[in-house]
Amino acid sequence: MTAAPLVEVEHLVVEFRSGGGLLQPAHTVRAVDGVSFSVGRGETLGLVGESGSGKTTLGRAILRLLPATAGAVRFDGMDVFRLDPPALRALRRQIQLVFQDPYGSLNPRMTVGAAVREPITVHRLARGVEADARVAALFKEVGLDASFLSAYPHELSGGQRQRVGIARALSVGPEFLVLDEPVSALDVSVQAQVLNLLADLRDRHGLTYLFIAHDLAVVRHLATRVAVMYLGKLVELAPAQTLYADPLHPYTASLLAAVRAPEPTPKGKSMVVVGEAAAAARPPRGCLFEPRCPHPRKDDRCRTETPAWHKVEPGRWAACHYIEEPLRPE
Amino acid sequence: MKPLLRVRGLRTSFKTGRTVARAVDDVSFDLLPGETLGIVGESGSGKTVTALSLLRLIQTPPGHIAEESVVEYNGVNLLELPAKELRRVRGAEISMVFQEPTTSLNPVLTVGSQIAETLRAHRVISRRSAAARTIGLLRRVGIPEPEIRTRHYPHQMSGGMQQRVMIAMALACEPKILIADEPTTALDVTIQAQILELLADLKRQLGMAMLLITHDLGVVAGIADRVAVMYGGQIVEEGPTAALFTNPAHPYTEALLRAAPRLDAPTARLPVIPGAVPPATRWPTGCRFHPRCRHAWERCTAEPPPPLATPTEQRARCWLVDEPVRRKP
Repeated sequence: MTAAPLVEVEHLVVEFRSGGGLLQPAHTVRAVDGVSFSVGRGETLGLVGESGSGKTTLGRAILRLLPATAGAVRFDGMDVFRLDPPALRALRRQIQLVFQDPYGSLNPRMTVGAAVREPITVHRLARGVEADARVAALFKEVGLDASFLSAYPHELSGGQRQRVGIARALSVGPEFLVLDEPVSALDVSVQAQVLNLLADLRDRHGLTYLFIAHDLAVVRHLATRVAVMYLGKLVELAPAQTLYADPLHPYTASLLAAVRAPEPTPKGKSMVVVGEAAAAARPPRGCLFEPRCPHPRKDDRCRTETPAWHKVEPGRWAACHYIEEPLRPE
Repeated sequence: MKPLLRVRGLRTSFKTGRTVARAVDDVSFDLLPGETLGIVGESGSGKTVTALSLLRLIQTPPGHIAEESVVEYNGVNLLELPAKELRRVRGAEISMVFQEPTTSLNPVLTVGSQIAETLRAHRVISRRSAAARTIGLLRRVGIPEPEIRTRHYPHQMSGGMQQRVMIAMALACEPKILIADEPTTALDVTIQAQILELLADLKRQLGMAMLLITHDLGVVAGIADRVAVMYGGQIVEEGPTAALFTNPAHPYTEALLRAAPRLDAPTARLPVIPGAVPPATRWPTGCRFHPRCRHAWERCTAEPPPPLATPTEQRARCWLVDEPVRRKP
């Protein structure tokens, strides 16, 4: 990519304080641990990880919905963590978040039409009939019938509610959407509808997405590049096609093997990883994935030395001792 | 082979106010000894209500299982069995694993005591041998250090470990049938794979039959011997897994297979099923899938299709089986 990226994340660290009561001594949990990546304009970066990997925390820290402990996030060249309140408000128009379960994020006593209208009036983008027209246009854009304008969230299906969540995010004309598991709560047939809608909107408006998911198969239909996260760290980042065809990190390979295709004799049983992720509060020394790693060459080095996040080839990054050494050490 | 479980014309409805939701509406299937039958459907298809109805775990009212429904186990209709005798079947002969282990486990009892309780409820067994057997069960479901884990409380375990405990509990009395309702849906993908493999191994070792209920066609693939696809409170297609996946007879099965995101398909637009699942209070006339079906013609809107046998050993509630020339390319 030659153009300047829209979003740049550098050595981002997010820590939570935990405990500190009678029963548990205070300790720090590092939910995001030195993560760096960038997202180009119009690109969709898939961010994949299991529960506890820190993917949601990372998404929220980028939006400044959570305080970061260290590191920097730049949006269109601006240092997001150093913006004054008016500039931050302006930024919130450009970056929007779509949640997994819009049921939890929509006010149950507000019609969904009013919910989509709210950000428009809050940001003073339009008023009265003009705002109404914008809401109607947004409903049309996300494929919702105008008759739903006066409906309440509980009257809609999961897929329809997610369309409302997307319309609400789009209402302020953002450039960048953080999609946090946008289809995980939906049925398969509806999932496909929403994924196609997201692809259409991206192409129509030149939107940039950070698509967070726990499932590599879902991300594949939208992502241009994919980052895989494990216990707060990125373990691999590569162009989507490369990552799916030739995963470098054993964890990526395990995740791919865990996807069960709907076919009579699925393959991949041999790659099932053992054990479970360590608690983020008590990470193992060395490589975080080592206790579960199926790699035949893993050894003492993996147990003691943290593998560096290095460029394996242009556009392709990984953190594992046993993939080819970096082409260009940095 | 004589079926272990014979379900015929199962109908379960729920009454709220003046509306009646016909959640399960004429479901029939057989489960053979040692077989795994996958029941696949989206939310609102009636798959969970089917599972709960088998063991009469439906709250009545508002729920109601129609009198003429038959759930025959060992020649006895479970739906007519006195409550006391039914309790002997539940947990001992037929047991169940649910989606959310956290809500099914008692938070104030150790996992070991909960498993031992199941054993002692159904068998004459001393406290000590129940405890020993519990440790054996925990080991069998792949829980490391079972001697220590048996004394742990559910909150001290991860979701995957809790689900293993649920499976251990379900297996405690060596049931003939295990009903697993979305056993891996709440789990991470790598843990999901582990649990599915565990279920498949246990089934092989113990020779029990399994009813695997899920929304995910990928989960039944490679585990189920046969698959039943539910839509609108009915089984719309049923058949051997390989046949059903390679030659889906019902357009809903076909569409569901195509809509699933997968790793090897082209990344272009996903084929979708238009519309949404209708509510159980207002099933469409004729074939319940016809408003969303791309092949539908007049007959489909008027006449509800019965299960029809296909040349590839499936049965499908679809008039296309009768008039294959109507199938659009």
